[in-house]
Amino acid sequence: MAMQVVAEPIQRLIEALTRLPGIGPKSASRLAFYLLRAPAEQVQELAAAIGELQESIVYCSRCQNLSQQDPCEICSDPSRDMHIICVVEEPLDVVAIERTGVYHGLYHVLHGVINPVEGIRPEDLRIESLLERKEKEPIREVLIATNPTMEGEATAMYLARLLRSGGVRVTRLARGLPVGGDLEYADEVTLSRALEGRREM
Amino acid sequence: MLLRHLSLTNFRNYVRLELDLAPGLSIVQGENAQGKSNLLEAIAYLATSRSPRAGSDAELVNWLVREEPYPYARLAAEVEKHQRVERLDITLLPARNNHRYRKQVRINGVNRRAIDLVGLMPVVLFRPEDVELVAGTPQQRRRYLDIALCQMEPPYCRALSEYNKTLSQRNALLRHLAEGGGDPVQELRFWNDKLAETGSLVMAKRQWFINRLEREASLRHLDLSGGFERLRLRYLPSFDPGIRPEPRQRRYPSTASLRERGVAYEALTPEQVRASFLAHLQAGLSRDLAAGMTLLGPHRDDLGFYLGEYNLRTYGSRGQQRTAALAARLAEVTIMTEAGGTAPILLMDDVMSELDATRRAMLVEALTSVPQAIVTTTDWEDFQTPLLEHATRLTVHAGQLTRLSAPVETA
Repeated sequence: MAMQVVAEPIQRLIEALTRLPGIGPKSASRLAFYLLRAPAEQVQELAAAIGELQESIVYCSRCQNLSQQDPCEICSDPSRDMHIICVVEEPLDVVAIERTGVYHGLYHVLHGVINPVEGIRPEDLRIESLLERKEKEPIREVLIATNPTMEGEATAMYLARLLRSGGVRVTRLARGLPVGGDLEYADEVTLSRALEGRREM
Repeated sequence: MLLRHLSLTNFRNYVRLELDLAPGLSIVQGENAQGKSNLLEAIAYLATSRSPRAGSDAELVNWLVREEPYPYARLAAEVEKHQRVERLDITLLPARNNHRYRKQVRINGVNRRAIDLVGLMPVVLFRPEDVELVAGTPQQRRRYLDIALCQMEPPYCRALSEYNKTLSQRNALLRHLAEGGGDPVQELRFWNDKLAETGSLVMAKRQWFINRLEREASLRHLDLSGGFERLRLRYLPSFDPGIRPEPRQRRYPSTASLRERGVAYEALTPEQVRASFLAHLQAGLSRDLAAGMTLLGPHRDDLGFYLGEYNLRTYGSRGQQRTAALAARLAEVTIMTEAGGTAPILLMDDVMSELDATRRAMLVEALTSVPQAIVTTTDWEDFQTPLLEHATRLTVHAGQLTRLSAPVETA
């Protein structure tokens, strides 16, 4: 058997870090040795933050986003427009849309998209709770903001069919050219979408 | 369009190759297993991002290099087009965690998708194995259609790639649905629509190509065979797009007679094909669920070669099959030139030796009618002296190419 070169606690941390996305064995050992030599309070702060992460974070029972409180900050903000729900794939998509400062409605996070090859079916997504919201809340519009990938489109179409009843308007995020982009470098599919979605001016 | 320079690193038996290529005809002579086919394979790979013969990309990496810590292979071409030079390159790198390789495609130094590369340097490759076009499996014929069409029609290439992605999603869903749970009609709706949308484009282009092919190939075939029988080509789709089954119909309409009589397809618009495809998918739902896969669609297409009423695949002699395949290749050159606006590079891998004088003459005519052709042979005797004098001659030995002569300039 090979001699144990690295002390057991360090080895254990390295293995734990290697399981994180984007971290290989090399980065893991570099992080482990950095933490070994770092000031004690910095390490404790990190340990505490990791420890509290799963305890303090909950799913908002309304929009299914990750939050510290239930309902989440957005759902409990009375200044938000309660008549519109923006449906997104992941919590980070909420962050992206919030950054625009243009949207003032509510959200609904699906936590994934329909992808049969990966074994993800509608029942694996938070769709049931979206349909309940449509019944209970004074919703006038559902804006579907899944990604313009094939799986995102499949999810959007599936949702639209379920939602399109009872006077609710179902809309889809527009597709087209990026701002500051160059027509010459746009791929044909994007450009043809932009042509289809042209606007009166 | 001309291929001006080819660089290979660790590709098959070429550890290192820097080759300047001239316009006109180049003839590469070499004994067996010295690298003749590998050279043409490299050019075809750069043109289509697929190998005409390898089962996996791992086979393309020099086998001595594969044992090294970081094995890779690189292919690069400089292509002259409208007085501009474009650089195409493909690097094969080991994929993480398994023994496969991934492709990195660049155009003028910028990373692009493989699909963007296809069509920038159109080629038509003639191989002795071409007889399989007629004698082989439907899969080989679909591959022939796809490679030709992808090089001249980028929208075809995109539709085909989307079709294939949709097909694997739909097949996965069919298997999940068969295990129970879920509403098949609701969940399949999107994938059915997408399959019909992309599939009908694929079918329309294949039909168009096969019509053109029949016209050109039957002319070439008359010359090649010196006979009176007309070569006919027929598109054999897996369902009749002229029929729209009832939504409640429990089984597909029979396709047996369809294979015999062919389809009156020309009059149909892509929109009609799409509606028919969709109706067939809906009618065949229970069959698809039972099989756990999609049983109808262009992934089940075939192309039939007929002489009179005889299907050459079943009844043709080896010689008849070879002649028909050669006619189809020659026709491909003509169609590509007309449709793409630029003549393809002709690549011929040792096909002269097994042909008689008439057929050789026809090939030579094709070779000299395009701006650039690269031909391999084991024996210089396959070519007549005037042709040799006007060609760039090279020999290959153990992955090393040597130039013997520049062509004689004629005023």
